Amino acid sequence: MRGAADRGAWRLIAARDFWVRLRERSFLISTLLNVGVISVLILARASGGLGGGAPTFDLGVVGGPAVTSVANDAAALGHRGGVTVIVHPYSDQAAADAALRSGSVDAVMTGTQLYGLESVDQTLEALVQTSAHAAAVDAVFAKHHVPEAQREAASQTDPLALGALQPAPPDRQSNAGVAFIGVLLLYGQLFGYGLWVATGVIEEKASRIVEMLLSAIRPRQLLAGKIIGVGVLGLAQLITIAGFAICLAFATGARFQTSTAIWAALLVIGWFILGYAFYASLFAAAGSLVSRMEELQNVIVPINLTILVSFIISIGSLQDPNSTLAIVASILPVSSALAMPVRIVLGAATGWQIALSLTLLIGSAVALVPVGARLYAGAVLRTGSRVKLRDAWRAA
Amino acid sequence: MLELVDLHRRFRDIVALDGVSFTVPEGRIVGFVGRNGAGKTTAMRIALGVLQADAGEVRWRGGPVDTAVRRRFGYMPEERGLYPKMRVLEQLVYLARLRGMPKAEARSSAEQLLATLEVVGDPGARVESLSLGNQQRVQLAAALVHRPELLVLDEPFSGLDPVGVDVLSGVLRTAAHDGAAVVFSSHQLELVERLCDAVVLIDQGRIAAQGTIEELRVSRARNLWQIRLRDVTSPWWEVIPGAAPLRRDDGVVVLELAPSTDPQRVLDVARSAGDVLSFGPVEPSLQELFREVVS
Repeated sequence: MRGAADRGAWRLIAARDFWVRLRERSFLISTLLNVGVISVLILARASGGLGGGAPTFDLGVVGGPAVTSVANDAAALGHRGGVTVIVHPYSDQAAADAALRSGSVDAVMTGTQLYGLESVDQTLEALVQTSAHAAAVDAVFAKHHVPEAQREAASQTDPLALGALQPAPPDRQSNAGVAFIGVLLLYGQLFGYGLWVATGVIEEKASRIVEMLLSAIRPRQLLAGKIIGVGVLGLAQLITIAGFAICLAFATGARFQTSTAIWAALLVIGWFILGYAFYASLFAAAGSLVSRMEELQNVIVPINLTILVSFIISIGSLQDPNSTLAIVASILPVSSALAMPVRIVLGAATGWQIALSLTLLIGSAVALVPVGARLYAGAVLRTGSRVKLRDAWRAA
Repeated sequence: MLELVDLHRRFRDIVALDGVSFTVPEGRIVGFVGRNGAGKTTAMRIALGVLQADAGEVRWRGGPVDTAVRRRFGYMPEERGLYPKMRVLEQLVYLARLRGMPKAEARSSAEQLLATLEVVGDPGARVESLSLGNQQRVQLAAALVHRPELLVLDEPFSGLDPVGVDVLSGVLRTAAHDGAAVVFSSHQLELVERLCDAVVLIDQGRIAAQGTIEELRVSRARNLWQIRLRDVTSPWWEVIPGAAPLRRDDGVVVLELAPSTDPQRVLDVARSAGDVLSFGPVEPSLQELFREVVS
């Protein structure tokens, strides 16, 4: 009978927290904000603005036919590699520079120079340099009257075969876009809903209702109910946003693979649950140490920083998911909730890394719940000045 | 019956409770009095399970107090607290359900209490929009809404206007009449004297006295007599052996008599000194007993 009544208590707490937060204006705002940011990202991708499409360059040319010929060779070379180079001849350098300044061309080529406004894109540079080099070699061949057949043979050497020890998945580039959106969402949810747990704890402490509540139920039930209520709301919001994002990506034909997007959404949802389980009891314990909302910032700084640093590392690992930092961050439980899903979406995480990361995160989340609950129980009834961690631990 | 048995509790170097034992029988109202910091709130919090005792135990109807038992207790903490933004009725129903009351029953009980306690205002209004007096009544309703078997109220009368005091007194009497055990702390000793069947006096973490007010008077029995004389200011009693003045005020004097001193002799002397307007034994008020005990 006691068990049944206990279950009812945390459910009531969870239901109250769920509905109270749902009706708050900040919930509506955060939902709209998330949907807005994601729409912008997806629409930008759908229109090719986020580096999804093949690059196009406008190359201004000043000089005689020889120079124009090199430029045309570069364009032809680029065409073979899927890069578009449009050649714009100019009568003099001043006109070309003006075009460069106005943004009509990306770079200007003369007989002796290749320059951009601030710099020259590496791809464009490689195309132009290669063509210029080929033209120079051609000129030497011509000077020494090398027969046409031998010239052909020299220029048509077989290119080196490309390979990789750990080949990256072919669609990593587009997956990085998915992973970026995913980790952005995860960061927002973990931080936002953790903060709500802490805020809820302080509200109950500041309004003193916590003593009424604790005369009816145990601190652990109160804590569990609060964490679950807020977490379910976070989960519901996340599912809504992810569903919206997938539909939008599908509808606008953004260059994602739909299966990747769904897989990423499921990963984000799964890692949100784990990460939230890990951070929420810490947020609750931190909240219970202070009595006024103004003091909240002071106590949650360490948790804030942890999540922020994990987020930054995760963004960094979009470029290099196999760096030592990215691997370590994806395994340590303090950061894995953000860092691991990125590496999974990018196809960089190995089976044992995922297994280890999951084990550590789940294990430490389970271990932290009683720690958080004990700090909470020891501190939540002590109003006034900030409670020291050690005192909270001992008081429980 | 609620039994507190030899409770001890320290906060760092401060001994808050040093072997506190007392009982609150069902159907009775017990007043819990003592100076600020004497240990009242600590003892009440331990009885409710909000705080743990270092040693000693709390029993209800002879058995240990677990979560299920505690649900049947009602509590009004000294630090009043409700969700300020939650609606009055919704809040009472929520608190009743937390203590295991079914929703429909909780609702009817809450509505009934709001009427009994004469809470003015819309039950659908947020608690923060009510006047302080009404918030106080809602707080009391929160302690009563699940029809508790034991009511523990920490300073329930503080901040109430005279009408509120009457309403609360009536509610506590009704609760006790219906079989609940009621214990409350208060500094308003006349009120405690008027309302309570028994009193527990706590001083510096120890129980200094307990029992019915009559029992306290008997145990603290002092042979006190009050005499009022018209227009007499001289210390006429000095000729009586074994009579010591406890206090004097204009023509009124309270004398403490030695057991061997006959009150009739005092009256004779008084009459020879002037016109006696009144003469009779004095029963110490709770206030006087309290002062005597804690001094």
